[in-house]
Amino acid sequence: MVTHEDILNIANLAKLSVSPEELDELTKDMNEIIGFANTINDACPQATDFDNINGLSNAFREDIVVPSYDREEILKNAESQDEGYFLVKKRM
Amino acid sequence: MESRIKKLSEQMASGQISCLELTKAYLEAMEKDNQKINAYVRFTPETALETAKRVDRKIASGEPLLPLEGIPMTLKDNISTKGIETTCCSKILTGYVPIYDATVWELLQKQNAVLLGKTNMDEFAMGSSCETSCFGGALNPHDTSRVAGGSSGGVASAVGGNLAVYGLGSDTGGSIRQPASFCGLTGLKPTYGAVSRYGLIAYASSFDQIGPITQNVEDAAIVYDTISVYDEKDSTSRGKVNAPVCESLKNSIKGRKIGIAKEYFNGIRDDVNSAIQNAIKVFESLGAQIVYFDMPSLKYSLPVYYILACAEASSNLGRYDGIRYGYKTAHYADRNEMVCKTRNEGFGKEVKRRILLGTYVLSAGYYDAYYKKAQNLRGELIKAFEDAFQKCDVMLAPTVPMTAFPLNFTAKDAVETYQTDICTVPVNIAGLPAVSIPCGFDTAGLPIGMQLIGNRFCEATILNIAHQYEIATDGQMFRTAEMGVKL
Amino acid sequence: MTKYELVCGLETHIELATKTKIFCSCTTEFGGEPNTHCCPICIGLPGTLPKLNKRVVEYAILAGLATNCEISRISKMDRKNYVYPDLPKAYQISQYDMPLCKNGWVELSNGRKIRLTRIHIEEDAGKLVHQRSNTYVDYNRGGVPLIEIVSEPDIRSIDEAKEYLEKLQLIMRFIGVSDCKMQEGSMRCDVNISVRPVGSEEFGTRTEIKNMNSFAHMAKAMDYEINRQIDLLESGEQVVQETRRYNEEEESTESMRGKEDAHDYRYFREPDLVTIQVSEEMISELKKKLPELPQQKAKRYMEELGLPEADALLLTQYRRISEYFEAAIKGVKNPKTVANCIIGQMFSRLEGEGAKENFSVKVTPENLNALVRLLDEGKIRMNLLKATLEKMLDTGKKPSELISESDMGGLDPDALRAACEQAISANQNAVSDYLGGKEKALKAILGTVMKATRGKADAIEAEKLLVQLIKK
Repeated sequence: MVTHEDILNIANLAKLSVSPEELDELTKDMNEIIGFANTINDACPQATDFDNINGLSNAFREDIVVPSYDREEILKNAESQDEGYFLVKKRM
Repeated sequence: MESRIKKLSEQMASGQISCLELTKAYLEAMEKDNQKINAYVRFTPETALETAKRVDRKIASGEPLLPLEGIPMTLKDNISTKGIETTCCSKILTGYVPIYDATVWELLQKQNAVLLGKTNMDEFAMGSSCETSCFGGALNPHDTSRVAGGSSGGVASAVGGNLAVYGLGSDTGGSIRQPASFCGLTGLKPTYGAVSRYGLIAYASSFDQIGPITQNVEDAAIVYDTISVYDEKDSTSRGKVNAPVCESLKNSIKGRKIGIAKEYFNGIRDDVNSAIQNAIKVFESLGAQIVYFDMPSLKYSLPVYYILACAEASSNLGRYDGIRYGYKTAHYADRNEMVCKTRNEGFGKEVKRRILLGTYVLSAGYYDAYYKKAQNLRGELIKAFEDAFQKCDVMLAPTVPMTAFPLNFTAKDAVETYQTDICTVPVNIAGLPAVSIPCGFDTAGLPIGMQLIGNRFCEATILNIAHQYEIATDGQMFRTAEMGVKL
Repeated sequence: MTKYELVCGLETHIELATKTKIFCSCTTEFGGEPNTHCCPICIGLPGTLPKLNKRVVEYAILAGLATNCEISRISKMDRKNYVYPDLPKAYQISQYDMPLCKNGWVELSNGRKIRLTRIHIEEDAGKLVHQRSNTYVDYNRGGVPLIEIVSEPDIRSIDEAKEYLEKLQLIMRFIGVSDCKMQEGSMRCDVNISVRPVGSEEFGTRTEIKNMNSFAHMAKAMDYEINRQIDLLESGEQVVQETRRYNEEEESTESMRGKEDAHDYRYFREPDLVTIQVSEEMISELKKKLPELPQQKAKRYMEELGLPEADALLLTQYRRISEYFEAAIKGVKNPKTVANCIIGQMFSRLEGEGAKENFSVKVTPENLNALVRLLDEGKIRMNLLKATLEKMLDTGKKPSELISESDMGGLDPDALRAACEQAISANQNAVSDYLGGKEKALKAILGTVMKATRGKADAIEAEKLLVQLIKK
């Protein structure tokens, strides 16, 4: 059973603000979804050593410098910037 | 069925039509018909016309055309295009203009592919109807009271509505095959690692794969051969490990073993079932052998998929905080509130649900019961497919248990909607290639799809069998919609 | 009153001296204008993917080999999820349950071994500047490769903590994987501290002091925290397990608890990266690259070259110095002379640790070697060696350019006798003082001899001869 408190806790981890109005609906939805996820409870999988999906290893890059992007490009999509920094104003 | 790509390429090379004329025909059709189906969320006429002129200059200079050169196409809106807004149809990425190109788009640009625009999708590819898009869903060109499917609904809608020759979508749990099936098209989900994911905005990294949606199998093969290239930027990339798939399309399928796992047929609609039974007869007539077996571990596919994909998604979508790109809330008291409000306002309901589920299954106290267990079941399913491919060359299954949903069908119940992905997700869990092709129509005339599933990197085999089916059925399973470009 | 002992373990973060970041090809150079060492990957643009820098794996394995670790043949990367503006992807790519290296140790001078639980690789975060109540974000440092070295709680005193950290610094510099500059943040550590009554086997509740960036701060923070915990226990209260930060001005530690940091990192395998498989060949190749470590070197200098411990430690503090020393002693009779030249005259010209680390002096080891050989061959005396070395340090010239033939070869016995006789007759007052019992007066006469012979006379021999002649 997923409680309101559980939802608020995971919402905090996921950095989602949940309004009191949304809480009931989300809790109901999550209970249904978790109930659905619980259908794996009766499975007894072998502890298969699941590796990565395509079984590859050692995909390395050589340590060679490539010029970085222009700062203008890096900051281009930022809503707020100042003196070459990404900016988060304290309050708005 | 003849390749549309090849035909157009030949017409351009022989001067029957210029690339500019072709491109303009599509752009004009889009202006007229896109409003009917909401396939495109953004048109890119400047880049399209510019490319078309370049192609015409090349033709004039007598140079031979590359396979996809000058062919008008589209990209799903989660494939990064430098200088062209890319939003995943989410409010949170409003105004985001990538500063780099996805590898697939780089490859296509080298071929002078004519990009007509970016197409609609479920927000962050999370959905089965395209209706979680912040732009509203794409509609089915065969019946606009029905959805095009999802999440790559826009690509399927555009290709089915003759507003693009082909398009690239992405498939995490069926997002290429399901809309292809709903719109009566060919949709290829390649082997995990066959096509570079660099520049594909991640939903679930160990499931996502880019692939084509086309009007016929040969077109899918041509596009696949172009985009399945090893990419050093993607650590999970292998590229195409065998010969070009186009070379083997014409091979006879006599003696090929087609496997059927009965679990795939649990709860599918009767008309879908009988369409596939008819297809089985066609395969038998072509000399293929049908083998039946059980795959009990398929029954856990859906929860395993949702647990693992949402876990990865919850992590992949953590970065949308309003600082570096995209939407940012207007009013907040402190930084933490800024991030939480931005995310709450920027993400739609389904995305939030999946982020919460993913966060939950990874959190302390639940990790072992959900994430770890699902990971073990994933290992078992991979093994079950390995065993299955000892018994057959390809597997045949329905793509979706039904045909295109009416509008707003999926809004009612999240879990019921998840159940409709039952036939598509196993392939993503195991990283296998699968192609969905049309195999009939329901009483309302809506297309029915079936999928051929191959062993890892056996795209050539599934496409060969699919193409032979197309020929044997004389292209009767494909019907063009009454809109868009008629050429 | 109960006596308490400290139980302490360190988590040390060390930036690796690779040219590029761990997952992209941007430079790792320190500083630079904000956000100029960035690309779509290290600012976490949607759709970008990491690609692991091979040298990061190699350097981490070298660090493991140099600290007696087992190297994992199979390893992987994991995501550590938390949302903070300095972390552009909202997860740090790190290693959770399969670190590259484990079960090592570092030996302290008192013979105690501090066990290492693990060494893993991960990416550094960007930098936040808080100003005018706004937050400014610079991602230049984001994605710089780090190793985290986690020790067991084996440290029992502040001095041991300092020595352990110094040893790590020394080793990492020696093997060339990091410059370990605490002031630039390329080495920093978190200190886990608890106290327990002496003799007790159980661990007390621990606190973690985050982000110590100097030896002095670490010592002060530890001192404060030990006393705080003892005071709590003595007054019957309990230590709360928590994360604390050091307050430089107050020289105290304070709790970092806040509503924002409900920590649950939700580690899971990084799906964008593949397995790391370390082969036997890779390990043996890296073993070949591993230089003799400072501790082994110091031991050898003492045992084989007969250097005193203090000298051996000073010469092995920086790799360049030990390399210089080893080049300069080739074929000399007494390596101690070379050690004296380096530790005395050369060190006095080097201000600060940075200068010692770079050890750029005008004298090549070959020229120092040539100079000391002149002494060995009896061609010059110690005082001329010292004077010449000063000139060499000023000019970078060879000894042969600074010492003329006539300066060399010492003084023949007749010339020495003549010089001594002349000095005696010129210093009659000193002679009578000496005879009157003032032994020091002899030095004045000796001075005259040395001046007259321009330093060529052997001072000891000259003194003997003077006494003989005066007493006669």
